[in-house]
Amino acid sequence: MLADIITPDLFAAALRMATPLALAAIGGTICERSGVVNIALEGIMLCGAFAGVAVTLATGNPWLGIVAAVLAGVAISAIHAFTSINLRSDQVVSGTAINILALGVTGFLMEIMYGHPGTTDSINTIRSVFRFESNADGGFVSTVWHWINGIFLSHTPIVYMAIIIAFVAQWAMYNTRWGLRLRALGEHPRAVDTVGVSVLKGRWVAVLMSGALAGLAGANLTLEQVGSFTENMTNGRGFIALAANIFGRWTPLGSYSASLLFGFADALQIKLQIFRGQIDIPPQFFLMLPYVLTVVVLAGVVGRSIGPAAVGKPYEKK
Amino acid sequence: MNRKWTRILAIMLALVLLVAFVPGCAKKADPGTTDGGTTPPKTTIKAAMVTDVGGLGDKSFNDGAFQGLERAKAELGVEIKVLESKEITDYESNIDQLATAGFSPIFAVGFLMTDTVSKMSTAFPDVQFGGVDEFFDPVPANVVGLNFKEEQGSYLAGVVAGLATKDKFDSKLNADNVIGFVGGMDIPLIQKFEAGFIAGAKSVNPDVKVISLYAGNFSDIAKGKELGYSLIEQKADVIYAAAGAVGLGTIEACKDKGALFIGVDVDQYETVANSGDVMLTSMIKRVDNAVFETIKAVVDGKFPGGTIKAFGLAEEGVGLAPYHDFDSKIPQAIKDAVEKARTEIIAGTINVPTAR
Repeated sequence: MLADIITPDLFAAALRMATPLALAAIGGTICERSGVVNIALEGIMLCGAFAGVAVTLATGNPWLGIVAAVLAGVAISAIHAFTSINLRSDQVVSGTAINILALGVTGFLMEIMYGHPGTTDSINTIRSVFRFESNADGGFVSTVWHWINGIFLSHTPIVYMAIIIAFVAQWAMYNTRWGLRLRALGEHPRAVDTVGVSVLKGRWVAVLMSGALAGLAGANLTLEQVGSFTENMTNGRGFIALAANIFGRWTPLGSYSASLLFGFADALQIKLQIFRGQIDIPPQFFLMLPYVLTVVVLAGVVGRSIGPAAVGKPYEKK
Repeated sequence: MNRKWTRILAIMLALVLLVAFVPGCAKKADPGTTDGGTTPPKTTIKAAMVTDVGGLGDKSFNDGAFQGLERAKAELGVEIKVLESKEITDYESNIDQLATAGFSPIFAVGFLMTDTVSKMSTAFPDVQFGGVDEFFDPVPANVVGLNFKEEQGSYLAGVVAGLATKDKFDSKLNADNVIGFVGGMDIPLIQKFEAGFIAGAKSVNPDVKVISLYAGNFSDIAKGKELGYSLIEQKADVIYAAAGAVGLGTIEACKDKGALFIGVDVDQYETVANSGDVMLTSMIKRVDNAVFETIKAVVDGKFPGGTIKAFGLAEEGVGLAPYHDFDSKIPQAIKDAVEKARTEIIAGTINVPTAR
């Protein structure tokens, strides 16, 4: 029974399911570190997912689709940047508006582009980077190879990109001038301003970066995982990403790890469902597990998370 | 920065959003309206439907109901209209709008609308309602419940899967005696699919292991793909999904890892592009027939109000789609077994369970 649960695919699935969460969560981290709350991640991801499929359907090239998804994410997040930085509107309201807008706009565009709402035609998904053969039937070496191949070498490009982005963002946040300024923007924007660095510009860059990452998360969903766009297909992932960002204590690597935990919990509940026939437990119980785990971890392990001091506060130059 | 410019930009942004929304609402509201201006007003039947939140384009029962309406428009000359529900809270206002505009019968598609239909049938006693997938007890006199015996169609799908997993007619079939089921939400409606599928598979292959996984919703395609991967890892080589859009993800998993798929609600070979090499068959639910027959009954003045109509194999309300690309590969023995099961269910010698 345990051998059916603990399989290479359990960990591979955790990585796959963590990827869209992690990309959006790192986007959220960068954005909030600059002092701007971004609850629009969900909507941005949805727009990225749609743009990716639309461009791939039009051009037949999924790589152009990825570029389009990132650009769409940047474009939508520009609305958030403009309203929350320049107009100093409430960032939660602006983000909520974008989430609703994204739902409406993607559905509307489907109607005019494809003549129907619902689900688009499917494209050929981007295949995994490596395609090695392995099976677990042989001796020790081939079994180890089977596990390594299954867990680490079975993935699509954006899965690897997300891991690289997590490390690079972590390094940049603590070792570059950009990172120092970014953190200062969220803690004490006036200090940044007084040394002659533009708060407006710094925050704009951060918000656009988070849009690009959330757009990439959407591309992972449609171009790598499922190959078609369905209305509201992000299914709340943007909000889970926000939680992962907080759980990861506003650091890129923390966000990635938290997403991995959520992904693992979800993968685990799927594997546990296999035994539903043998142990009489309703499937709702398993579906609930990832969320229970989240609550337990947040309550027991993380302790108090303290966000950037100036997050959510519009900056007004005096 | 220049505050005036900021303000102008803000107003322009607001206008752009407004423009983006307004045609969206207007266009979505009535994709199927006939041109009311040119036809002279006479006592034509005005039939309408309210979709569930999946909306038109779900390649499933909302589209099926719409096909029934379109057929009624073409063959019976009735006027038709569709209102789409974006949220559960839209049900009542949509029905109200149609009833006030004089539409009757009004089809409410989806079991989630059951309570709304009960309520609105009292508010509009002169309007006739058709509730697709809805069960009423007691049934109001101006309502007909259009139900389907999904378990019967799923039984046939189970027969195909149970025999196919033992066979070797396609390279995606393995030696293990395992098949899979993917459900949307674990509710009685979906359990009917699961129960019928398991019963059908066990009837021809008593030792077969059927693994059932549930997504917890009908829209998370990515989850559907993961469920498919897990089933395939458990050596399942034929997977049946009754899970709305979630099943589209499962099709992707089958294409990627090599397993056969049985579609649901409509002939998914036709509606899902590039799925031919995994789509064994589909369990079809003829919502279009049920809607068309009901409109026809209204036209003939024989609206079966106050009853629940259950469409099964005998009424051709459910059934199996053609095998398409697999037609030449599938052994005759499997086709014969399906026919035998069909005849026996219609004759009543097989009683298909509706709960697992």
